[in-house]
Amino acid sequence: MARIEFKSVTKRYAGDVIAVDDLKLEIRDKEFVVLLGPSGCGKSTTLNMIAGLEDVTEGELWFDDQIVNALPPHKRDVAMVFQSYALYPHKSVYENIAFGLRMRKVAAAEIDRRVRDAAAKLEIGHLLNRRPSQLSGGQRQRVALGRAMVRQPAVFLMDEPLSNLDAALRISMRAEIKHLHTAMQTTFVYVTHDQAEALTLADRIVVMKDGVIQQIGNPDDVYERPRNMFVASFLGNPAINYLEGTIDRGGASPVFRRGALSITLPPKLAARVAAREGQELVLGLRPEDVCPAGEAGPGMALSGVVDSVLPVGSDRFIGLKVEGRDVYVRVDKEARHQEGTSIQLGLVAERLHLFDKATGMTLLEGASP
Amino acid sequence: MTTDVAAAKPRLRGPLSYDERVAFLFVAPLAAVLMAVAVFPILYSFYISLFSVKLTRPGRTPFVGLGNYVTVLSDPQFWHAVERTAFFAVLCVVAVSVLALLIAMLLNEEFPGRRVLSAVLLVPWAIPYVANALMWKWIYDSNYGALNGLLYQLDFINSYMVWLGDSDKTLALIANAFVWKEVPLATILLLVGLKTIPADLHAAAKVDGANAISRFFHVTLPSLKSSFGLVVVYETMMAIRHFDLFFILTEGGPGDASHVVAWRIYVETFRNLSFGTGAAMAYILALATLALAYAIIRALARKI
Amino acid sequence: MAIVSAAAPSAEVRHYRAHSRLKRVGRGLALAVASLLFLGYVLAPIAWLVSSSFQSEHEIISKPPHWIPQAPTAQNFAAIFTARDKTVTYETRKARDPASGGFIPSTASNLLPAMLNSFIVACAVVALNLLVGVPAAYAMAKIHFRGRQASIYTILATRVIPDIALVVPFFLFIRNLGLLDNIWSLIITYLAVTVPFSVFVLVSYFESLPDELDKAARVDGCSRLQTLTRVYLPLARPSLVAVILFAFLASWNEFLLALMFTQTTASQTLPIVVASFTSDFTISFSFINAAGVLAIIPPVILALVFERYIVSGLTAGAVKG
Repeated sequence: MARIEFKSVTKRYAGDVIAVDDLKLEIRDKEFVVLLGPSGCGKSTTLNMIAGLEDVTEGELWFDDQIVNALPPHKRDVAMVFQSYALYPHKSVYENIAFGLRMRKVAAAEIDRRVRDAAAKLEIGHLLNRRPSQLSGGQRQRVALGRAMVRQPAVFLMDEPLSNLDAALRISMRAEIKHLHTAMQTTFVYVTHDQAEALTLADRIVVMKDGVIQQIGNPDDVYERPRNMFVASFLGNPAINYLEGTIDRGGASPVFRRGALSITLPPKLAARVAAREGQELVLGLRPEDVCPAGEAGPGMALSGVVDSVLPVGSDRFIGLKVEGRDVYVRVDKEARHQEGTSIQLGLVAERLHLFDKATGMTLLEGASP
Repeated sequence: MTTDVAAAKPRLRGPLSYDERVAFLFVAPLAAVLMAVAVFPILYSFYISLFSVKLTRPGRTPFVGLGNYVTVLSDPQFWHAVERTAFFAVLCVVAVSVLALLIAMLLNEEFPGRRVLSAVLLVPWAIPYVANALMWKWIYDSNYGALNGLLYQLDFINSYMVWLGDSDKTLALIANAFVWKEVPLATILLLVGLKTIPADLHAAAKVDGANAISRFFHVTLPSLKSSFGLVVVYETMMAIRHFDLFFILTEGGPGDASHVVAWRIYVETFRNLSFGTGAAMAYILALATLALAYAIIRALARKI
Repeated sequence: MAIVSAAAPSAEVRHYRAHSRLKRVGRGLALAVASLLFLGYVLAPIAWLVSSSFQSEHEIISKPPHWIPQAPTAQNFAAIFTARDKTVTYETRKARDPASGGFIPSTASNLLPAMLNSFIVACAVVALNLLVGVPAAYAMAKIHFRGRQASIYTILATRVIPDIALVVPFFLFIRNLGLLDNIWSLIITYLAVTVPFSVFVLVSYFESLPDELDKAARVDGCSRLQTLTRVYLPLARPSLVAVILFAFLASWNEFLLALMFTQTTASQTLPIVVASFTSDFTISFSFINAAGVLAIIPPVILALVFERYIVSGLTAGAVKG
């Protein structure tokens, strides 16, 4: 069993800097949890607290049925992979991997078996006698993984392990880590600022900002049903487009208005804006949620002037100037647009988001996060 | 999962965490040593300075508060010593800085034999102060010294001169001996500073059309500011408090030509046996050193 | 238009090549001259000291001096090593002219025992520096505990007070412990004097070693002590060597405190005995110089052997991996 629970944990540094504020989080056994957020949001601090590398200032940290606040890291059954790999430069690859087992007084024969086993799985068996300085970045990363794997820990911690790799390697390593999780059947806690990584790997994503959890949910939840503007903009690449405007009760159904732009709200949204006439709201539109003008319903038109054309090989995006705002949308790869021309696109009604401008919270919230 | 139950007790506000306990344990021996052998004497020294303590008069040690300080500060001999010290310090710091900079620039270049020069650089630094004093005393000797011999051979002088005994020349000669021994460390400090100048800065300057000389003034010197600051502060502190050379070369003489503050403190404490005033003088020196270091650091920080 | 032509070099290219060769020669010349000046500045006084030590009293008083001994002799060094066999009395001194006296000071026989004392003290100080300084430096560099910043400043601040100011309290402190004229008085005080710098060097070096190594080791199962001994110490070798070197040399060369605390050969160190020669106006210069040479040999050898660690130990090295 490897359940981790944060009970109202706060981490404060000298000078009253609050890194993590009243964190309430439960990580289930064998789960793959990703802590996602921009730098400084407290995700690494949270990970370090699980490892015991940082003290808990307030609150309680539980492993299964024990409070572990005072337990030093070398007495916890966690293994960790670091962003910079942190391999011991003066030890061979073999010794690097074996070190944790030696410190825990595992029998030499068993150590040898596990090290060679892990090295084989990671395809670094031929490197066992080398020093870290003689390895490439990708190889070092595998050694770091191997070092954590052989420990067969109750919890696997990973702190942005793929950030230092080049793009192609990153994609293949994601797959490997996912396989590793399935094979090891262990709790994984993974920290990253890369939203694509989070969406690929996680069972559940914990989105954090300024030490506070913004939303916890599976990838589908946080992407499709973001709780607030921060989560909506953090997930998705290119980011969601925001248009500020107001609600107008002109006619039968409420209308979102921004200057000349007027969008008839679909029933799902219309119900939520009942009491909000005249209030400032923010419309959220993901780049992929547009369609050709003809396919959209009435009152679902978006018109703007083409400002930039951004082909990215597999897709094509264009930047539109809509009522003074830049809006990026995905268009057909074969379509050709001229800068400066006006175009009209249709909106997919069910995929619009609406947020309160003052609080940033979504208006679509039905149940709890 | 396995946990050590005994160690997993929840941490309250007061008691120290594992890390803090280890930290204090690791630092404790150092703290003990320094407390006993450095902090305590420093405080005790100040304590003594508040009393009139004369070993010539062992029974009575009345409390005089700041009286010793007043005595010292109103003694013209003391100010004369301050003047001598300041002259000495300025001379030394300037000479050390210039020489160290030149040598550091030389050693920063790549050329065969540079390692040999780097090794040779360390020799003056490694030798004992006493040996240094001895060596220069022999060189400056009035009857048989090498300085006399060299100048005589080169026809700069007609007959052997008295060097250390000449009050006009004494401080400069002592300064020379001091500088010779201090140059290696200062050079190393500047060399480290030179090596941390990013090559990109020089490359950018070259592309901008700067030649070697203007690169020196516009790239090298400004980047060396903090290293220079360190050298100036350190050498000033060393020069102000230096004692060994004055003890061996001139014993403060001739007359009081080389009567620096450090020498006066020695005389007051160990020859006049007036511990109270000696301690007061030493404390004034210490405070002056602190103030000077602080002033120099602030001055340099502002210029950046 | 081709940027680089493969044909025969144009006049401009030839001019450039000649010009750059001239620059190289000029640079070589400048470096050579500078190097010679530098070597002269540093080595000339030492060379003269060595040369003098090999000259007999007769030769040493030549005017102008013999820069290279014409009749080199090792009798000055022999005198040092056989000092005990000779007895110096008022008569033997009176018989000879001071500079060509061919005799030795009454304290000459103290030289070798003093060297031994210096050596013992220096080794002890080095050992204690490491024992006391290394754990403290690790803690200050890698553990964020309350009072960490204050500790570092305090430690450095203890060195701001000139030694002169500390001599009297030191003296009373040592006397009350009954350690006057005992090498332990030197060991304790030298430790206090050298350890701040050692700690400073070690802390700088430890801080330059990646934090994540520390974290990896602790997660791998090392207690703090094990992290220090199994991971950081092997990596900190340059700074350890630098600390050993500095502490040894500082102890070997120290003068003022030894002057205060030592009275007899039981505890006198080399600088004290050598200094005692200079105040005796009637001894031969060549002997003094020989003593000086003997005094500088160990530290110079040490410095030359460990030269490369001094700079790398002072500067924080980047450790990859």
